[in-house]
Parts: sequence; structure tokens; C-alpha cells
Amino acid sequence: MKVPLALIRASLMVALQYRGDFAFELLTGVVRTFGRVMPLVLVYGHTTSISGWTADEAMLVMGFFLVMTAFHEGLMEPNLGEVVEAVRQGTLDLWLLKPADAQLFVSIRRVDPAYLWDVFAAFAVLGLATWRVGVPGPLDVIVAFLLLGCGLSAMYGLWLLAICTSFWFIRVDNLRFLLLSIADAGRWPVSVFSGWARVLFVAVVPVALVTTFPAEAMRGAWGWELVAVAFTVAAAFLVVSRLAWTRALASYTSASS
Amino acid sequence: MILAHLRTFPTLFRISVASLVAYRAEMVIWILSTTLPLVMLALWNAVTADGPVAGFDQNGMTRYFVCTLIVRQLTGAWILWELNYDIRSGALSQKLLKPIHPLWYAALTMVGAMPFRMLVQTPLLLAVVLWRPEAWRTPSLAEVSLFVVSVALAWLLSYLSQAFFGSLAFFMDRSMGLWSVWFALWMLFSGYIAPLGVFPAWTATALKWSPFNALLGVPVQILGGFTTPHDAVPLVLAQLAWVVVAWVLVAFTWRRGLQSYGAVGA
Repeated sequence: MKVPLALIRASLMVALQYRGDFAFELLTGVVRTFGRVMPLVLVYGHTTSISGWTADEAMLVMGFFLVMTAFHEGLMEPNLGEVVEAVRQGTLDLWLLKPADAQLFVSIRRVDPAYLWDVFAAFAVLGLATWRVGVPGPLDVIVAFLLLGCGLSAMYGLWLLAICTSFWFIRVDNLRFLLLSIADAGRWPVSVFSGWARVLFVAVVPVALVTTFPAEAMRGAWGWELVAVAFTVAAAFLVVSRLAWTRALASYTSASS
Repeated sequence: MILAHLRTFPTLFRISVASLVAYRAEMVIWILSTTLPLVMLALWNAVTADGPVAGFDQNGMTRYFVCTLIVRQLTGAWILWELNYDIRSGALSQKLLKPIHPLWYAALTMVGAMPFRMLVQTPLLLAVVLWRPEAWRTPSLAEVSLFVVSVALAWLLSYLSQAFFGSLAFFMDRSMGLWSVWFALWMLFSGYIAPLGVFPAWTATALKWSPFNALLGVPVQILGGFTTPHDAVPLVLAQLAWVVVAWVLVAFTWRRGLQSYGAVGA
């Protein structure tokens, strides 16, 4: 626990040093959020329900989607994204020498506080949507956040897997942009898509675990099989990505030395 | 000057193809990452299941997003990231030494990549057409010729806007942040997520003449037959006007930028 805290403190100090940039990032964050929520407003301007989801319920999905993007852009991309470059240039050596687990270190080395806005916006949208849908029971909320945790873990595993490919291939780091563009579909309830696409969003790019599953829980429409699926997928991604990471490190030969 | 640059095109085309062949996996991944129109198609398909929205039925929506997918591929550019990296790392110095302007060089290689991009996209397009053959509509000769002009202008505008935001890296550290704002607005207002007709009436009128519509919407509307060629001519002229504006902006920032360029690492 000491390692994460120290890393967060260092990130905050950097952010406070570049205050102008921080303010600018906040501003762009507002536009980003606006751009993400507007399509929802636009679509529901023409209908009251899509595949069984009302506007307010779809806003729950959007809220969880915003949590995911904040998690991705504020934590995963600044950290895991840099591993690719570090592998190519050989600077990964320096990180491997740190007295902490290498996977932990490359995953949370830097936290970008500018994305605090995105976290705030995500919970504002979630709060508003919850209030409009009807306040859920305590068990529903607990299950929702449990599912969210599973979803984020699974996405993290997927990201780590994508990063690991860069140890063997040079120019596949854009794989994560492809995954990101697929994950973008997660802003809509997964029942909008047809059968095979649904499997894709649950098991391959498990974005439905992050967005639709918790939203189902919040509107009280969850079952234990949903929880079981989420746990299985999350566990599979975490284990496989951990194995891939150790294999990748074992084959790392350091480019510079 | 333009003619002299165009003479280099066959060579640059060969370079472009060679680099595509060398890094084909990377290219295929890039091309496949513009699948958002298919997501939006699935969504609008669900919305229009109960009846048409703003004149678009399910077939209309299918045709609209297939055209969007095509136009998005044909107007793809990536000079922004190249320029941003080159300016920050100092790699630009080397490119400035070449006897061809770096912006021309990049533009011509990107045009060279176009046939390959369409080729990769073809199976996806075929799949959609097979899924809903009723959506097919053969465009007239007038539409096709106007489309060619319009999509060329859209590509040029897309390239120039990226070159503009890219060359802002000469002056500021957060130029990519500015781009992300521009991109968010583009996403919303270009017709990428929804046809303009779906927007509230007053927004639709304003957006019709905006650079966002010029970047994507206009060629899509022409190819899909959502406007008559006669009505589309003023929109194509508006595209031309935006290209001129962007060209002037890029020429200005590029000249001023080179003066302040520090050539990191040189």
C-alpha cells in the first residue's frame, strides 16, 4: 500500500507545479464530457425506449462508461501506454530496477489528476441518472459496484495483454486504439447489439461488464448469473494477463544495452 | 510549384506502398479502428425499428452509415501525430533538409495509402450490403462525379486541419489538448454519429455550413443520395471556402512556427 500512495503524491506534486496546464486540461475535460453525453440526448430526442432501456436507464450506462473512460485516460493510458515506448527504447530497464513489483509499478506509476474532472463528471451523471430512475436498494448498489470492479479489472487485464504484445512485435502498439474504438460501443446498453456482438462485448472486449452490467444492477434487474459471468471473465483476464506479463518480461532483452 | 511536387508522386506512391507492405498488420489495425459508424448503425437501427426518424427509415440509416464508413476511410489523415512528434523530438530537422516540403511529402504518401485502405474496408462494406440489400442504391453519374470532388475537398480539409493543430506544437505544449476539443466537436457535429437531419432544426441549419459538415457530412449526403446534386453544389463550394481558410491558416502557422522552431536534439 505504501507504493501506490507515494506514486499518487508524486503525481499531485507534478500537477501543482504546472497549474496552467492543469486548468487547461480541466477545460478540455468539460468539452470531452459534453461530447460524450450529447449523442444520448440526441438519440432519445426521437424515441422513449431503445431495446428496453429508457433515457434515464441509458444514462446510467453512460455514467458507468464515463467512469471507465476516466479510469482509462487518467490511469491506464498514461502508464501502460508508456510501456510500449519504454520497451522500444530500452528505458524499461530503469523501471524494472525499482524495488516494487514491476507490473504494479508500470500500472500506477503516474496518475493524471487532470482526470479528476472526468471522475467528478462520471459520478454526477451517475447520481442524476440514479435519482431519476429511482433510488435502488443497498444490495443493488453493492452489486453494481462489485460488477464495476470486475469490469474494470477485466479491462485492465485486456490492456495489459495488448501492451505485452509490444515485447515481441514492434509496431502493434496501436492494438490498444483498436480495442479502445471497440470499447466505445460500451456507452450504449449492450442489448442494442445483435447476438455475436454481445458476446464480443462481454467476453472479448469486456466493456459490457463495466457499463451495462452495473447499470442492470442499479435498476434492480440483476441475477446471480450476471455476477458469476462478471467474476469469471474478470478472473480469466487477470490471470492470463499476469501470465503474459511474466512471460513477456522473461523474454525482454533491453533494446539499449 | 504544385506541378513540380506532383511529379514526385509516382515515387512517393511506391514508398507509401512499400511501407504499407512492410507494416501491413499495423495498417490493418489502424483501418479497423474506425468502426464507430457500425456501432451507430446498430443503435439507429434499433431506434428506427418502430418507424422512420427525420425521414430516415432503417434502409436509409444503413445507407447513411455505410457511406460514412467509406468517407471516413477516404478522408483519413494522420499528419497531426507525425507533425506533433517530429516537432517535439526534433525529427523535423531532417525532413526539412529534403528537397520537398514536409507537408507535401506527407500529403502525397497519405494519398498513396488510399487504395489499400479501401481494399481492407471492402469485406466490411460487403457484409453490411449482404445483411440489408434493400439499402443499396446506385448513384447517378452526376452524383458520383460531384462526390469525387467533394470527398477530395473533404480529405484536403481534414489534412489541413490536422496540419494546423499539428503545427501549433511549434508554439505550445498543449496543442494535442486543443485537438481533442476540436475532435470532440467534430465527432458530434460532422454527421459521424447521426445525420444532420436528426438534430433540432436550427442546429441543423447552422451545422450545414460548418467546417464539420464540410469534413464529412457533405460527401456522405451526396453519395447516399440524401440531397440532390443541384442542392449539393453550394455545399461543395462551402467546402472549397473552408479549404482556402485552412490553407491560409496552415501557411501562416507553418511560417511563423519554423522561425521559432528550436530543433530539439540538433
